[in-house]
Amino acid sequence: MTQLPEHQRRAIVKTAVTLFAIAFVLFVFTLWRGVR
Amino acid sequence: MATAHHDEHPAGLMRWLTSTNHKDIGTLYLAFALIMLFVGGTMALVIRAELFEPGLQIVQPQFFNEMTTMHALIMIFGAIMPAFTGFANWQIPLMIGAPDMALPRLNNWSFWILPFAFTLLLSTLFLPAGGPAGGWTMYPPLSIQGTMGTDFTILAIHMMGISSVLGAINVIATILNMRAPGMTLLKMPMFVWTWLITAFLLLAVMPVLAGAVTMLLTDRHFGTHFFDASGGGDPVMFQHVFWFFGHPEVYILILPAFGIVSQIIPTFARKPLFGYESMVYATASIAFLSFIVWAHHMFTVGMPLAGEMFFMYSTMMIAVPTGVKVFNWTATMWKGSMTFETPMLFSIAFLMLFTIGGFSGLMLAIAPADFQYQDTYFVVAHFHYVLVSGALFAIIAGAYYWLPKWTGHMYSETLGKWHFWLSVIGFNLAFFPQHFLGLAGMPRRIPDYAVQFTQFNQMSSVGAFLFGFSQLLFVALVIQTVRGGKKATNKPWEGAEGLEWTVPSPAPYHTFATPPRIK
Repeated sequence: MTQLPEHQRRAIVKTAVTLFAIAFVLFVFTLWRGVR
Repeated sequence: MATAHHDEHPAGLMRWLTSTNHKDIGTLYLAFALIMLFVGGTMALVIRAELFEPGLQIVQPQFFNEMTTMHALIMIFGAIMPAFTGFANWQIPLMIGAPDMALPRLNNWSFWILPFAFTLLLSTLFLPAGGPAGGWTMYPPLSIQGTMGTDFTILAIHMMGISSVLGAINVIATILNMRAPGMTLLKMPMFVWTWLITAFLLLAVMPVLAGAVTMLLTDRHFGTHFFDASGGGDPVMFQHVFWFFGHPEVYILILPAFGIVSQIIPTFARKPLFGYESMVYATASIAFLSFIVWAHHMFTVGMPLAGEMFFMYSTMMIAVPTGVKVFNWTATMWKGSMTFETPMLFSIAFLMLFTIGGFSGLMLAIAPADFQYQDTYFVVAHFHYVLVSGALFAIIAGAYYWLPKWTGHMYSETLGKWHFWLSVIGFNLAFFPQHFLGLAGMPRRIPDYAVQFTQFNQMSSVGAFLFGFSQLLFVALVIQTVRGGKKATNKPWEGAEGLEWTVPSPAPYHTFATPPRIK
C-alpha cells in the first residue's frame, strides 16, 4: 500500500472523525427524542 | 497507467482474515452477499412452498412467521447491502484513481463484523422458542412481547449498523480525499456519485435505527416504557422512528443500483450518459426527499388529515427526479449503437421492471387508496419489483459487467443469456400475480389463505422456484469465470469509459500507486 502524503492522511482522519461524531450525535438524539 | 510493483500478500486463510486490500475486501463482501442471497432465498422458497396451496401443509404458522421475518432481514442487510459495499470496495478506488480505500483497517473490520452478526441472527432459529417472528419492522407491542430471538436480533442489528456506518465513513472519506488529481466532483463516474450520496444516507439513518432498537431493548429488559402503552409509552412512535430510518433505507438499497446501470447503459449504447449533471442532482433530490416521506408506510395508523396529505404529496414528488433518471437512461439508448450482452439485458430489464415497481409505489402513495392496499400482497409485489428487479438485477448486471476486470476472464455469454431469460420469466411469474392477489384482498405475512386465491398463488410459487433455481446458473457461471475462460483485455467492452479500464485484467493487487492525471 502506498504511503499517503501527511496532509492527505490528516484530511482523511478529520473527515472520518467528523462523520463518526455526526453518527454518534444522531444516535443520542434519537434516544433523547424517545425520552422527551 | 499506474499499476503494481509488488503483489505479495499472505496466502490462504490469513489473506482473507487480515486483508486491508480493497479488492480482497470487495471480494469478501460479494461472496458473503451471494451466500446470504441463497440463505434468504431458501427461506423465500419455504414461504412459497407453504403458499402453493391453501391450508397448512409444510410448516407451522410460527415458523412461517420466522421465515418471513428472517427472509427480509437477511436479504436487506445480508445480501443487497453487502453486495453494494462489495462493488464500492472494488470499484470506487479503481474509478477515482486511488490506491485503496482511505481507511483500510477499518474496512477489514467493517466486513468481519458481518459474519458474526448473521451467525447471531441465524442462530435464533435453533433457540427453544425460535427466531424473531414479528416481521422485519419489529413493531411493538409484538416485539416487546417476543422471545429471546428478538434480543439476538436487536444485537445483530446493532452489529450490522456499526458495520454500515463504518463502511459509509470509509466511502465518504475515500471519495472526498483520495480522488486522482484533476478528478473534480462533477467528473466522477455516476456509480461513485450514487455511492457518495448513499453513504450520507447510511450515516444519517443507521444511528436512528440503532436508537430505535436500543429503546426496544430497554423496554424489554430494563423497565422503560418508550413504546409500551401500558406504561404511558407510544407504540406508534416506534413506527415513526423506524420508518425515518426505513424509507431512506429503501434508497440505500436502490441508489447504488442506479449508479451501476448508469455505467452499463452508456457502455452498450456506445453513447455518453444523457444528462450527467441532471442525474447527479436527481440522485441528491431523491436522497433529500427520502427523509420527508416516511409516514406513507403508516397511513392507516390514524394520522391527522394534514399529515396524510403532506406525506402523500411528498411521496409523489419522488416520481419527478426518478422520472428524470428513467428518461435519461432511455435517452442514452436513443439512437445508440446498441448491443445486448448480458449486463445490458439485465440493465434494460431493470429499467422496465423497476419502473413498474415505481408506478405501483405511486399507487400506494395515494393515501385513500392505500387504506385498501395496506398490508396486502400488492405491497409485497411492489417492493419485490423495486428490490429484486431493481436492486438485485442491477447487482447481477454489475457482476457481469465487471467480472472480466475482476477475474481476467470473459464469462460465458450463452450461460449468461440463459440466466437472464430464466430470471426474468421466473421473476415476473412469481411477482406479477401478487398484484392481483393484493388487489383482491389477500393479506401479507399469513401461511394460509382463502381458496379463491389458489391459482395466482400457484403461479407465484412456480415462478419463485424457477427464479430461485436459475440463480444456480449464475453461481456456476461465476465459478467457471474465476477458474478460466477466454482472456479478458484491459477494456473488454468496446464502449466502456473510465479509469478502471486502463488497468490490466485481472486488476493487479495494487493499482494507482502513482495517481493518474485526469484532463
